Amino acid sequence: MEDSEPDVSPPCSGQQSPSSSPSPSLSISSSPSLSLPSTPSSGPHHSASPAPGPADTPPGSAPPLGVISEGLGELGPLIDAEVAQRACQEVLQKVKLQQVDDEATGPEPVANESTAPAPAPAPAPPPSTAAGAVKPLKIREEDDDPEGPAAGSVKSARRRQRHNPSKQSWLLRLFESKLFDVSMAISYLHNSKEPGVQAYIGNRLFSFRHDDVDFYLPQLLNMYIHMDEDVGDAIKPYVVHRCRQSISFSLQCAWLLGAYSSDMHISTQRHSRGTKLRKLILSDELKPSGPRARRDPPALTPFCPAPPTEHTLSPTKRTHQRSKSDATVSISLSSNLKRTASNPKVESSQDEDGSSGSDSVEFDVGPPVRLTPQREFIKSLMGIGKRLATLPTKEQKTQRLISELSLLNHKLPARVWLPTAASQHHIARIPHTQAVVLNSKDKAPYLIYVEILECENFETSSVPVRIPENRIRSTRSVENLPDCGMTAEQRAGSFSTVPNYDNDDEAWSVDDIGELQVELPEIHTNSCDNISQFSVDSITSLESKEPVFIAAGDIRRRLSEQLAQTPTTFKRDPEDPSAVALKEPWEEKVRRIREGSPYGHLPNWRLLSVIVKCGDDLRQELLAFQVLQQLQSIWEQERVPLWIKPYKILVLSSDSGMIEPVVNAVSLHQVKKHSQLSLLDYFLQEHGSPTTEAFLSAQRNFVQSCAGYSLICYLLQVKDRHNGNILLDAEGHIIHIDFGFILSSSPKNLGFETSAFKLTAEFVDVMGGPDGDMFNYYKMLMLQGLIAARKHMDKVVQIVEIMQQGSQLPCFHGSSTMRGLKERFHMSLTEEQLQLLVDQLVDGSMRSLTTKLYDGFQYLTNGIM
Amino acid sequence: MSQVEKKAGLLRRTSSSKKPLKEKVVLMYDEIFAKEDPAKNNPRFWDELFLMKVNLEYLESKLESVDGEEVQRIQDNINSLFHHCVQALGEEHQIKVVNALQTLCALFRGVHQKNKSASGFDIINMLMGFDKAELRMKDLMESLDSLLCGEGSESLKSLCLKLLLCLVTVTDNISQNTILEYVMINSIFEAILQILSDVSSRGQHGYDAVVLLALLVNYRKYESVNPYIVKLSIVDDEPTLDGMGMVVHQALTEYNRQYKDKEEENQGGFFSTLTSMVGSMFIADADEKLSVQTNEAILLALYEAVHLNRNFITVLAQSHPEIDMAGSPATPIPTTPTTPLGTTPPSLDMMNNPELPLDPNLQTSNLLITFLKYSSIVMQDTKDEHRLNSARLCLIILTCIAEDQYADAFLHDDNMNFRVNLHRMPMRHRKKAVDKNIPSRPLVCAVLDLMVEFIVTHMMKDFPMDLYLRCVQIIHKLICYQKKCRIRLHYTWRELWSALINLLKFLLSNETTLLAKHNIFHLALLVVNLFNMFITYGDTFLPTSNSYDELYYEIVRMHQVFDNLYCMVLRVSTNTGQWKEPASKVTHALLNVRAIINHFNPKIESYAAVNHISQLSEEQVLEVVRSNYDTLTLKLQDGLDQFERYSEQPKEAAFFKELVRSISLNVRKNVSLNTLSQDVLLKEFSTIS
Repeated sequence: MEDSEPDVSPPCSGQQSPSSSPSPSLSISSSPSLSLPSTPSSGPHHSASPAPGPADTPPGSAPPLGVISEGLGELGPLIDAEVAQRACQEVLQKVKLQQVDDEATGPEPVANESTAPAPAPAPAPPPSTAAGAVKPLKIREEDDDPEGPAAGSVKSARRRQRHNPSKQSWLLRLFESKLFDVSMAISYLHNSKEPGVQAYIGNRLFSFRHDDVDFYLPQLLNMYIHMDEDVGDAIKPYVVHRCRQSISFSLQCAWLLGAYSSDMHISTQRHSRGTKLRKLILSDELKPSGPRARRDPPALTPFCPAPPTEHTLSPTKRTHQRSKSDATVSISLSSNLKRTASNPKVESSQDEDGSSGSDSVEFDVGPPVRLTPQREFIKSLMGIGKRLATLPTKEQKTQRLISELSLLNHKLPARVWLPTAASQHHIARIPHTQAVVLNSKDKAPYLIYVEILECENFETSSVPVRIPENRIRSTRSVENLPDCGMTAEQRAGSFSTVPNYDNDDEAWSVDDIGELQVELPEIHTNSCDNISQFSVDSITSLESKEPVFIAAGDIRRRLSEQLAQTPTTFKRDPEDPSAVALKEPWEEKVRRIREGSPYGHLPNWRLLSVIVKCGDDLRQELLAFQVLQQLQSIWEQERVPLWIKPYKILVLSSDSGMIEPVVNAVSLHQVKKHSQLSLLDYFLQEHGSPTTEAFLSAQRNFVQSCAGYSLICYLLQVKDRHNGNILLDAEGHIIHIDFGFILSSSPKNLGFETSAFKLTAEFVDVMGGPDGDMFNYYKMLMLQGLIAARKHMDKVVQIVEIMQQGSQLPCFHGSSTMRGLKERFHMSLTEEQLQLLVDQLVDGSMRSLTTKLYDGFQYLTNGIM
Repeated sequence: MSQVEKKAGLLRRTSSSKKPLKEKVVLMYDEIFAKEDPAKNNPRFWDELFLMKVNLEYLESKLESVDGEEVQRIQDNINSLFHHCVQALGEEHQIKVVNALQTLCALFRGVHQKNKSASGFDIINMLMGFDKAELRMKDLMESLDSLLCGEGSESLKSLCLKLLLCLVTVTDNISQNTILEYVMINSIFEAILQILSDVSSRGQHGYDAVVLLALLVNYRKYESVNPYIVKLSIVDDEPTLDGMGMVVHQALTEYNRQYKDKEEENQGGFFSTLTSMVGSMFIADADEKLSVQTNEAILLALYEAVHLNRNFITVLAQSHPEIDMAGSPATPIPTTPTTPLGTTPPSLDMMNNPELPLDPNLQTSNLLITFLKYSSIVMQDTKDEHRLNSARLCLIILTCIAEDQYADAFLHDDNMNFRVNLHRMPMRHRKKAVDKNIPSRPLVCAVLDLMVEFIVTHMMKDFPMDLYLRCVQIIHKLICYQKKCRIRLHYTWRELWSALINLLKFLLSNETTLLAKHNIFHLALLVVNLFNMFITYGDTFLPTSNSYDELYYEIVRMHQVFDNLYCMVLRVSTNTGQWKEPASKVTHALLNVRAIINHFNPKIESYAAVNHISQLSEEQVLEVVRSNYDTLTLKLQDGLDQFERYSEQPKEAAFFKELVRSISLNVRKNVSLNTLSQDVLLKEFSTIS
C-alpha cells in the first residue's frame, strides 16, 4: 500500500487543505482528481478550481487565489499569480529552511545548483532573495510586467505562511521523497494552481534524469504553450537549459513547439509564448554557455563537410566565386601539376546551397549554424515526400524516390542524425536503391534505410570522411596504367580529399566481389586465345587432363532445388514495392546492404530505417506511442507478460514527421495477399507444425501480443483496424500500427467497428480455437493487464489529459473524451466484475459483425484484404 | 533589330577590308609583316593594336601568304606579336584580352595552314622562337588557366576554350601537334574540372570543356605519358564527375530528342499510312541530317571517362529526371555544324534546380539509359562510316561497363527498375513495339535487349563482324557476372537464344561470301559457347526451372542449324587451310549441343510414334525433355566463364587514332571564325571601359 500512496495522490488539487496528517489518506486525495471536470487553463476557471476541493478546507485559510480571481476578472489573476508565485516561493523556502535545520543536507536543491544555470531557489537565502531569484527565470520579453504588487506579495505571503505551514511541509516531504518521480512532477505541474509549487517543480525538473523528462517533453511543451504564464515560467528555464546542452533537444523542442502551436488561431499563434520560444531556439541564441562552451568551441564549428557557414551568411554567387578564385590564385602559384585532381572543393558546397539554401523557411533570417545541417536534412526528406505525392503511379514514385535520395547522398556523411534512433551517430549514407514507397492512397510516405556510423557524441565527434560509392572495388585505373609518371608524393596529394582512407587497409581488403576481376591471372589477358583456357572451376580438370562429365539431370535438379530454397520471399510487385522490402529478414538486409556499402567495413557501421511521412499529422501517433510505452512499463513493473511494441514517433510539424518502422514485420494484408493462406496456415508455413517448439512459441507470442493490443485498442478506442494496419512479425507477434483514429475519433464516423477491439475468427484459430488453453490464457492475460493498468491509471490518463489542452486533434473531439477514457479503466469494479467484463468484451468482439463488415468495406474501397 | 543592322554593317566593313581603303588594324598588321620593328616608330604600337577590333581573316591570310624566306625576316615581329598577345591576356582591359585571344587564334591557325608540311619545331620557332617558347607557353597557359577559373565574363571564358580547342585541333593528327607538349607540361586540367564542377559554368562551357578534355587525353596516348590521362583516371570528386556526366547526358539526350522529333515528323504526316515505304526512305534522309559527327567527341569523352576513371561508373547510374529540352527551342543545338560548340543552356541544368521538376510524365532517367537509347539509334544504321564508328564506340563503352563490377551491380539491382524505350528499326516482318508496354526492369535487361536487337537487325551482306563480336562478348560478360553472383534475372532468354541461332544460320548460309573477309568461326565459337554457358551453368543463373527445359526445347527445335554448323566446321577442319584450327575449336564446342540433340530427338520421335501424333505441341516436347534428363551426360568444358578483358592498347589503337582525327577535323570546322569574333563580346566590354 505504501507504493500506491504517491501514485494516486498527484492529481490532488487541494494543496491548501491543511490536512494535518502528513500521509494523505487514499480516499481524500483520489476523489477530487476524478471529479475534476477538465483542467482549468485561464482566469475564469480559477474560481472553479478550489471548489471541487474537499469540503474540509478550513474557513480560516481562505485560499488567496480564489478570492482575488473572483474579484478582479481577467487582469487580476495575472498580477496576483505573480504575487502568489513569489509568495509561495518564500513559503517553500521557509519550509525548506526548517527542513535543512533538521537534515543538514537538503538534498535536491544542492543538486540543482550544480546543474542548473538558472538560479534555483537555494535553501540558504532569506525570503527576499528567494523572491528575487524567481525573477531571472522569467523571459526577456516579459519586461513589461508590473513590479507594483511586489510589496503586497510579501504581506500576503507572510500571512499564508502563518496559516498553513504544516500543509507545505507535507507537500515538501512528498516532493523530496524518493518516490517523487517525473510522472508526479508533471501531474503537479498540471494540476497545481499554486505558482510556487509550479516554480518549485520547474526547478525540480533539473534533478531528474534527462531520459525520464524527455518522455514527457510533449506534455511539458504543450503545457508551456497552452497553460498560463506560471506554468510556462516554471518550465522555461529547464527547456532553455537543455536546449543549450543539446542540439537534438533543441530541435526536438522546436518541432514540438511548432506542432502544438498549430492549433491556435493564427493571430494568437504569432505572439504566443510557444512561437517565441521556438524562434529563440531556432535563432540559435541558445548556444552552450559557461565552461562547456569555453572548453570546446572549435569542435562546434565544422558541422558539415561542406561548410554551411557559407550559405547561412549570404548564399550569393559572389562569395563562392571569390573563394574559388582565391583558391585558384593560391593554387596557380604552385606548380600546376601539383594540383590535385579533385581540386574544386568549393563547389561541393555550392550544390548544397543550390538545393537547400533556397527553400529555407521564411522566418529564419539567419539559420543558425548549429542546427542547420540537421534541419536541412529533414527539410530535404520532407521535400522529397511532397514531390512524390504529385506522381501518379507507385512505380514513378519509387524511381523518383531513388533518384532524389541518390542526390541527397552526395551531401552525406554530414553532421546529421536520425532522431528516432537512440544512439549517438552520424548518417553516412542512404542506400538509395533500397528505399521503398509505402502503400498509401494519396500521400506518399516512404521508408528509407539509413547507414549510420556510431560515435561518442555527434556534436563533437568529427564527421566521417566521405568514401565514394565504388571504393569497395579493387582498383583499376591508376594502378594498371603503365607507369604514369607520377611520383608517390603527387599521388598521395591527389588523394588528399580522403585523408583517412589510404591508411585504412581494411577498406581495400573488403573486396569479396572483386573476385571476378582477380580470377583471370594477369598473364592470360594477353593470351592469343580469346577464351582463356583457365578457369577457377576448370583448373583441376586441366591438371588431370581428364574430361569431367556431368549429368544434365543434376543441373536441372540443382536449379529447381536452389529455386525452392527461397520460398518465403514475396514476389516483386510494382504496385506494392514495400512488401518485398519488408518481408526480407532484417539481418539479411543488414548483411546485404553492408556488403554493398563503402562504409560497411567500419566497425561502428549500423543500419537503421525510418518512415518519412509528409502530409500526415503524427501528434496522435505520438500520443498513442506515449500511452503504449507507459502501459508497457506498467505491465513490466507488474510482471504481466503482455507484449506490445511502441514504435518511436518524431513529430516535425502538424503535418509531417517520422516513424521508426517495426522491423521484420509485414502487414496481415500483405501476408494474406502474397501467401494466399489463412493466418493459421501461414503460421504453419512459417513456423512449422502445431506441436513444434517454433510454432508454440510463435503462438504464445501471438497470444501475448494479441492480448496487449486488445487492451490498447479497448482503452484507447483504436479504430480503423483493417488488416493493413496490423503487422505480423517474424516471431508471431502482432503489432498494431496507425493510431490515426483513437479516443473520440473514428474513420468517416461511419459507426463501423463498434466492437471493443479486433478479434477475428482467424485470430482465434491461431490461438487454437475458442475452447483452447491458449484462448483462456489470452483472456487471463487481458484481465491481468487491465488490473495492472487500472492500478496505475493516473499515469496513463495524465499523458492524454495534458495533451488535450488547447488541442484540436480529432481524438479529443467532443467533451466526454477524458471521462470515457477514465471509465474504461473501471475503477469501481471488483476483480470478479472485471473478469466478467473481459469475457464480455472478448465475446462481443469475436461475434462482432462490424469487424467483418469493416474488413469488407476496406476491401471494397481500398483493396485491403 | 538594331543589333542585326549593326552586325550587317560590321560584316560589310570586314568584307570591304581588301579594298584600297584599309582599316587601321589592317595597316598595323601590315606593319608587323614589314621588316622593321613596328614599335620602333610608335612605342605604343602594341597597346593600340589590342584596342583594335581583330580582323581574323586578314591576319590569317597574311600569315598564309608569307613564303619561306620572308618567314625568316619577319619571325622576330611574329614572335613579338605572340609575346604581346600573351602579355595582353593579363591586362585589366577586357577588350584587350578578347583581342589578344582572337589574335592568338589567328596566329595558330595561320601558321599551321601555311606550314602543313613543316615540322612542329619550325612552327614553334616561327611563333615564339625556340629559346623563349617554353616561357611564352607557360605564361599563356597560366593566363588561360586564371581566366578560366577566375571571375571574369562568361564569354571570355568561352573564348579561352575556343582558343584551346583551336590550338588542339590545328593539326589533323593531334599527336603531331608539337605545341601541345607545352599544354602537357602546363596543365589546364584543373581549370577544365572546375568548369565542370560548377553548375553555371558547366551549363555554358561544359560541352567545350568535355570535348577539349577528350582531345587532350588522346594526345600521344600510346607513345608517352600523358598527364591528362593520369589525372583523369584519379579524379574522385563527385560533383565534378557528375558534371562531366551531365554534359554527356545532355548532349546525348538532345540528340535522342531530335531523332525522335524527326521520326515523328516523318511518320505522323498525312500520307504516313499510304506511303510507309516512301516514308521510311525519308527517315533515312532525316537521319543523314542528324549528324552523328559532333557526338563522336562526346562519345569519346564518355569512353575515356568510363575507361580511365573507375569513379565515373557511379555517375552512369546517377539518376535524374529526364531532361526535356523540347521546351526551349530557341537555344542553340550542337548537332548542326554551323552552330557553336558551347551549347547546353544553363537553365536546363538539373543539378541547378533544388527541386526537381514536378512533371509527372517525366520518366526518371540516368546517363546509362540515355546512352543505351542513343546507342539504339546509332546502331540502327551502320552503313555510314561515322555511324559505324559511333556504333563501334558505343559497343566498346558497353564492353567496359559490362566488365565493371560496380556497373554490373547496379545493372542487376532488382530495386532499380526502369523502362527503357530503345529505338527499333522498322522492319517489314515485325511491328514497332508499342512504347508503353515495356515493363519496368533492371537495366541489364535493356542492355540485353539492345544486343538482341543488334544481332537480329544486322545480318547483311556487308557484315559488321567486328560489331557482332563485341556484341556477343558483352552478352558473355554479363552472363559471367550473373553466374558468379548467382543472379537469376527474369529475362526472356528465349529471345536471345533464337537470335543467336538465327545468327548461326546466317553465317552458315553466307559462308562463302563471309569467309572471304572474316573469320566466322571465331564468332560461331563465341555463340556456341554462350549456349554452353546456359547448358552447363544454367542452374546458377536461370530464373525458373522451366527456362532450362525451354533451352533444350529451343536447341532441339532448331537442331538443323546446329547439325549444319557441325557438318560445316567438320568439313573445314578436316581440310588443311587457314581455317582448320578455328573450325576444329567449334567442333569441340558443339559437343554438348550435339549430345542434347542426339539424346532427345529419338526420344521425341518415339514419343510421337507411340502416341500417334504427327506434330508435337511445345508442352509435349517439354514433357519429353523433362522426363529424359537423367540419361543424358554432358561434358564440362573449360573456360566457359572466362573472358579476355578489354584493353585498348594494341587492338583498338588504330581505331581511336582514326576517330580522334575525324573528331579533330570536325571540331576545327566548328570552331568557326564567326564564333570567335562575337560582336556580343565587344559590345559587352565596350560598356565596361
